[in-house]
Amino acid sequence: MTRFVLRRLLYLVIVLVIITFVTYVIFFAGNPTNLAGRFAGRDASPQAIKDAAVRLGLNHGFFYQYWHYLLGLLHGSFGLDYQNQVPINSEIARAFPVTASLVLGASILWLLIGIPIGIMSATHPRSLRDRMGTTFALTFLSMPTFVLGLLLLLVLYYYLTQAGITWFPPAGYVSFTQSPAQWAVHLILPWFTLALVQAAVYTRLVRGSLLDVLGEDYIRTARAKGLSRRTVIYKHGVRAALTPVVTQLGIDVGTLLAGAFVTEQVFGLTGLGQLALNAIRNSDLPVVAAVVVLAASFIVVMNTIVDLVYAVLDPRVRLA
Amino acid sequence: MSLIGADVRIEVAEEHNPDRKGGADREFVGRTPWQLAWARLRRDRVAMVSLGFIVFLMLVAIFAPLLTALIGHGPNTQYSTTGLSPSGIPVAPGHNGFLLGTDDQGRDVLSRIIYGARISLEVGVGATALALGVGLVVGLLAGYYGGWIDALLARFMDILLSFPILLFALAIIARFGPSLDLVLIVIAMFSWPYIGRLVRGQVISLREREFVEAARALGSSDLRIMFVEIAPNLIALAVIYATLLIPVNIVTEATLSFLGLGVLPPTASWGNMIAEAQTGDLFTVAWWFLVFPCVALVLTTLAFNLLGDGLRDALDPRHGRSNIIPPTKQQRVLAKLRKRTAREAAREAERANA
Repeated sequence: MTRFVLRRLLYLVIVLVIITFVTYVIFFAGNPTNLAGRFAGRDASPQAIKDAAVRLGLNHGFFYQYWHYLLGLLHGSFGLDYQNQVPINSEIARAFPVTASLVLGASILWLLIGIPIGIMSATHPRSLRDRMGTTFALTFLSMPTFVLGLLLLLVLYYYLTQAGITWFPPAGYVSFTQSPAQWAVHLILPWFTLALVQAAVYTRLVRGSLLDVLGEDYIRTARAKGLSRRTVIYKHGVRAALTPVVTQLGIDVGTLLAGAFVTEQVFGLTGLGQLALNAIRNSDLPVVAAVVVLAASFIVVMNTIVDLVYAVLDPRVRLA
Repeated sequence: MSLIGADVRIEVAEEHNPDRKGGADREFVGRTPWQLAWARLRRDRVAMVSLGFIVFLMLVAIFAPLLTALIGHGPNTQYSTTGLSPSGIPVAPGHNGFLLGTDDQGRDVLSRIIYGARISLEVGVGATALALGVGLVVGLLAGYYGGWIDALLARFMDILLSFPILLFALAIIARFGPSLDLVLIVIAMFSWPYIGRLVRGQVISLREREFVEAARALGSSDLRIMFVEIAPNLIALAVIYATLLIPVNIVTEATLSFLGLGVLPPTASWGNMIAEAQTGDLFTVAWWFLVFPCVALVLTTLAFNLLGDGLRDALDPRHGRSNIIPPTKQQRVLAKLRKRTAREAAREAERANA
């Protein structure tokens, strides 16, 4: 167990080094003086550009800058951003709760929608219910997040409000500490937008994996020894069928926690995705690198948790 | 996975064809697995409708200049007098000769959707073809050689798949400046590992088969075994997953364009059309220039997904209907004729009775 966690930590460090290095290479593939010019202000004199370069540390070589960034990371600091010279840690502390509220709420919702429909489809293959489940999955699988989000806004917010029914607020975010009720009300549409698209993936995943499991010999054995259909499906079938779901959940939550770009953009949520998108548009390298580090860490950490959950779900799995 | 293309299956069509029991015209029909798959696909109505829609869309994309000339509105022309009301509000669908209305700049939404189809298909199909090529080669090398080559390539694909894809795609495009080619290459760069991993898995099991052993015994080179002996067995898999990857790549292009780092305005792409509709909540004033590009995008991805599902059912023996052997054309015609003669005989008998 300790060995397992230590190995994962080592893997995380390697991935972080690779991924931040790639980020730096991408950014410095352009011209760094050009980068300093962007932050020196409009019509800056050559001296002002030089000052800006010194202020941002761009006057040093590529490897020196990268090394400094890594040293900062070791001390738990993402450094200052180029644009406003504000500590990135505090910007992330502001943005992360928004993304986390969105993603965690949505993930509960998509599991609640996706898994039951998948089970229903798999236990009644080729029936009308199965076909309805498959249609649901295919429709939302083909629906890009921003299409669903904007259509929901148009119909549920705009047309309903126009008709005098103000159930849904416009895009925006209210923090949980400010008002839990408003927090939830403002997040309902983003939650459903993200969850419906994701639920489609889970429906297909559960259906496929449960159909495979129900064809196994031990399921027949369980039925033959007289267990009820219900017990067989839920205790023997679903439990084994959930392993790929756990994997997928780890990947999805890990990736989305570092920014649900599209949903945040559609609903004006100022989370990590918006932070990263603005930083990318402004060539604000340290901020982009910070979000990249977070994303990679979330993915590796979620994968580790998934492997730990595996060991609980399936006694054959040993952690090594 | 099937060994499609490798052999010709001879089967007794009789047993699976309930209209004909016994009789003198019992015969053996030899058909290649591809003919069988096509026959199966043809009976799948949903897949055929999707295929029809995709062909239609491709024709629209190819003949876009001709179509917009027929409509009489260019995709980027701003019709400031006919296309906008005096107060500057977009014209609703069906007015002033704008079938799907105009956008905030007085441009014809239909013409823009037609040109947007070009971008979507170009990036969707182009990026998928590129990903397929790279994925096949890397998957073949990794699966066939095994050992350290496999370890290296497989680990490389794993790392690429654990990248926060959208974030990196955005960063690369922002750094080098958005362009259609760059969008296509970036999308391909992050989607080939999916194909690569699938191919690798298949090749690992295929390389132990007798026909590979036979080829090796005959002195074939590694390259020949990989690309002449093994590769044809991967075609079915490649066709299925390429069809399912196209809609994913179309959505990625639309997403990048929606976020402002894909295809740049004024070039019309469904993604940037939707982004323009969102700017300043303009869609609340003129729903049509949000809704129509959305419909085009959803129908396209849906058609590819449905066709991909149909192809999987028809080609992959582990799925659905692929064990059904559909009747040949000759058998269908014969069955019809037999039914007709039977009906006529019955009628004749009735007449004789009366």
